[in-house]
Amino acid sequence: MKKILWLMVLVFSLALAGAAVAAEVQGVTDTSIKIGQWGPQTGPAALWGAVARGTKAYFELINSEGGINGRKIEYFLRDDGYNPNRTKAIAKELYEQEKIWGFACGVGTSPGMAVMPYIIKNNIPWVGMATGSPHWAYPPKKTIFAVYPLYPDEAQILTAYAIDTLGKKKIAFFYQNDDYGKGGLVGAVRELKKRGMTLAADVPVEVGETDLASHVLKMKKAGADCVIMWVYPKHAAIVLGTAAKLGYKPQWMACSTLSDVALMFKITKGLWNGMIFGNFAELADSKAPLMVKYHKAQMKFAPKERWGVFFYAGFGFVEPMVEGIKRAGKDLSADNFVKAMESLKNFQGIMGPITYSAERRQGIKKVFLAKCVPATMEVQGKKITYGKGQRLSDWMGVE
Amino acid sequence: MLGQLITSGIAIGATYALMALAMVIIYKTSEVLNFAQGDMAMLSAFVAYMCLSTYGLGFAMSFTLALAFAFALGAFLEFAFLRRAKEPNVLGLIIITLGLEMMLYGLASWRWGSDQKDFPFPVSDFEVHQLGGGVVISELNLVTLGVACALMILLFMFFRYTKVGVAMKATQQNQQAARLMGIRVGRIMMLTWGMSSVVGACAAFLIATTDTLDPNLMWTPQLKGFSAAVLGGMTSLVGAVLGGFILGVVENLFGGYVSVEFKAVVAFAVIVLILCVKPSGLFAKHYVRKV
Amino acid sequence: MDMKRDYYEDIRLLDSGPQVFWLVVLLGALAAFPLVADSYQIYTVNLIAINVIVALGLNLLVGYTGQISLGHAGFFAIGAYSTLALMLNAHLPFFLALPLAGFISAAFGFLLGLPALRLEGPYLAIATLGFGLTITQILGRLDVFGGHMGLQAPPLELFGLKVASDAGRYAVIMPICVILTWGLRNLTKTRVGRAFVAVRDSDIAAECIGVNLTYYKTLAFAVSAFYTGIGGGLMAFILGFISPHTFNVMVSIMFLAMVVVGGLGSILGSVMGAVLITWLQLELARIGELPLVGPVLTELSNQVFTLSGLPNVQYVVFGLIMVLIIIFEPLGLYGFWIRTKIYWRTWPF
Repeated sequence: MKKILWLMVLVFSLALAGAAVAAEVQGVTDTSIKIGQWGPQTGPAALWGAVARGTKAYFELINSEGGINGRKIEYFLRDDGYNPNRTKAIAKELYEQEKIWGFACGVGTSPGMAVMPYIIKNNIPWVGMATGSPHWAYPPKKTIFAVYPLYPDEAQILTAYAIDTLGKKKIAFFYQNDDYGKGGLVGAVRELKKRGMTLAADVPVEVGETDLASHVLKMKKAGADCVIMWVYPKHAAIVLGTAAKLGYKPQWMACSTLSDVALMFKITKGLWNGMIFGNFAELADSKAPLMVKYHKAQMKFAPKERWGVFFYAGFGFVEPMVEGIKRAGKDLSADNFVKAMESLKNFQGIMGPITYSAERRQGIKKVFLAKCVPATMEVQGKKITYGKGQRLSDWMGVE
Repeated sequence: MLGQLITSGIAIGATYALMALAMVIIYKTSEVLNFAQGDMAMLSAFVAYMCLSTYGLGFAMSFTLALAFAFALGAFLEFAFLRRAKEPNVLGLIIITLGLEMMLYGLASWRWGSDQKDFPFPVSDFEVHQLGGGVVISELNLVTLGVACALMILLFMFFRYTKVGVAMKATQQNQQAARLMGIRVGRIMMLTWGMSSVVGACAAFLIATTDTLDPNLMWTPQLKGFSAAVLGGMTSLVGAVLGGFILGVVENLFGGYVSVEFKAVVAFAVIVLILCVKPSGLFAKHYVRKV
Repeated sequence: MDMKRDYYEDIRLLDSGPQVFWLVVLLGALAAFPLVADSYQIYTVNLIAINVIVALGLNLLVGYTGQISLGHAGFFAIGAYSTLALMLNAHLPFFLALPLAGFISAAFGFLLGLPALRLEGPYLAIATLGFGLTITQILGRLDVFGGHMGLQAPPLELFGLKVASDAGRYAVIMPICVILTWGLRNLTKTRVGRAFVAVRDSDIAAECIGVNLTYYKTLAFAVSAFYTGIGGGLMAFILGFISPHTFNVMVSIMFLAMVVVGGLGSILGSVMGAVLITWLQLELARIGELPLVGPVLTELSNQVFTLSGLPNVQYVVFGLIMVLIIIFEPLGLYGFWIRTKIYWRTWPF
């Protein structure tokens, strides 16, 4: 009898121990939390891979301040080359081999879409995907929190600004022929429809295209006096050059993925001057205290990186995630983390105000507009002209 | 609009023509399709960029250095990799060039990162000449056209009238026999690769000026140049250049009047149709191989 | 093994007792694999199995029949999209949709085979390349196929059983892979297979001895496209989401690399090539984190290269491996295998 009693005690304690283990959350200990990210470090989209390296610098900054609730972040960065096939493998590898807790950011719609079913199935927290496609937040998924303002919303804001403030009548839309470009197109059409107008021309461009003369001639022939661009930086540069050559001078406007003014000014050889573009994060020379702090972190942890918008976007996209982890406290189970995230109301870092609720998974719904102006600085005795952003508006959204 | 579309088509066609010339030179002597062509040129453009902006050398100096580098690179790749292949078959050689392409691409992106860069060039793409009827052509376009035609004529003369050029043609027709006739086939190959690389580098400088400089610069132009060369007949220098012009004009007219969306692939459809009628391209003689 | 004494020895699928033994061992190992491996490993093997199917199909075309193709991503896409479209729009069950998709792909292969009758070398390369590019372009345009937004794969169901885990998918994919491998080996040993080889070695000579070129060249394209289409259909379920972006030129080139690196005109070679290239693609992404190599590379990046470009080392290594294999062994990995075998057989001489 005694033996049986002992056995029962043993079984019970084992079961309890098992339960305790089960309650433990994957990827989290008292001193560490594992977070992973994929991002294109190679290939045609590698320009946007800076996001993932920005996140790395941000986590190093947080670790140097003692981590979150005493937990240091262990960060895993994998290159997927913008290939959905590899993204899926990376997500599985990180979650099943490295046993990470959650995912941060991740550039690209196709790569993200390839991973989303897996993330939903396993209830993995995923915050701040670096793309403004509506797939993430609509319909809302429990553990997925979008940050980036939606492309359609941004396109609506730009279109409204062109008509109301600049008094433009004929608007053309020049977009990359995929999910990204078409996201913008939808918004512009929606805004024009509200006013009973239509696009003067919608001109798609393929990713591999390098000769844009016929594209420009189409817009010129349509007589558009304002062109909104939703393309790769490369195409933006080529189209501006071709338009300048063919004597076509509309008001150009660009989406927030082209908001790296300094770079764009340089690669367009100054043609970016006068460009009006959307922004999802503060301008690079902003004196906001957080921006100054982050810039210092960049100089300390990643001194060779360029302080461009995609680098510090890597900070901004995960700010709400870090805040959520902080608010969730000791217990980082998916449920508790989601509850903490849903308590974020008008939380603001270096991006627009972020709000989540039980029904709302789209964090930012606002962008602000800026205009590119030339500025000069002196480098080793030589005067160099560069482009910088000048703020035109406050954070604004679509009603 | 028609005039402008045709003019722009010829202008862009000139860059295709240059890449096509580069491909034809190698194909003419060794029957290898060189998929590393574009990235060899891209690397040379980066070298020019480095000379210009990092070391602050002048245009003449930088471009000369970069072209010398291009020649050395081409010759080196042939010497170090293609010649080392044991019992090579054509497909194996193509895969070697694909491997080289990846290596060069990787090295360039490792060294210069993936940010786009502006490529300085002495001739502007914004200074335009009126051709009448509102049709314009930029100075850079004129230079590109000039370079393409000049190189075509030079290479044509070279293959026709110089001893080395004739030796190159002999090498293509029968390597064994050429060797027996006292031609140093190895050297000829190195020279071919060097020359081809230089032509490609010229194309890359001109393309990088209107485009932006990054490791993906030459992938599309390479495919287009490849198509142009096939259209012209793969072994014909004149054919390659004309193929480039035809390709550029057809693309632009299609983009202007039919559909911009399918502009990028219309070229391939046209080529397949033409090849059905003339299997060896427009300007090359069709050889039937002996059994 | 080397001497064939009569016709039946030539058409026999397995040559010797030990071969039968090792085959049984291999099949046993494949059956036992999901029981011992974790989900990520199974996923990797699933990817490999799909690439094996495609590599086999492509090798039939390139290695056995001597036609080059740079457009197999197009067939891959056709297979993937047809499978999903048949399931989503026509509500066919998976076991019907997949072979149907294979046949649709084969029909396209037949069509592409027609111009191929007159083309060779670079001309054929450009025609097939154009095919691959055009297909993705058209797919991006068709809203039935989700356009550029892509298409979500429905849950995989087989005879009423839901297949949701990697092991489940393995149970679907691996038998298909084994059957198709067996089928190809069978095919190459028949009259048709020998006709393919005759066309490769000299199409004019083949025609002279009575091989119908039109028939066999288009057939080679069709069979190759069928294999690739099946591979594509399975891939759609591995990924769970497909978009035209998934099937770019690089995919075609990788398929070709698998075949040539593995060994032209060899089934074992196709398998080895697919395994090596798939594995490299997955593993090289982490090259900067390897224990000894990583710090060296990081230091090198700081000194000579850029740190942000470090992941590009994978391309350098990848390219180098491809180049070295071809340089030292024109028959690819299969050549190495043969040489190792001969070395041990004649050891110690």
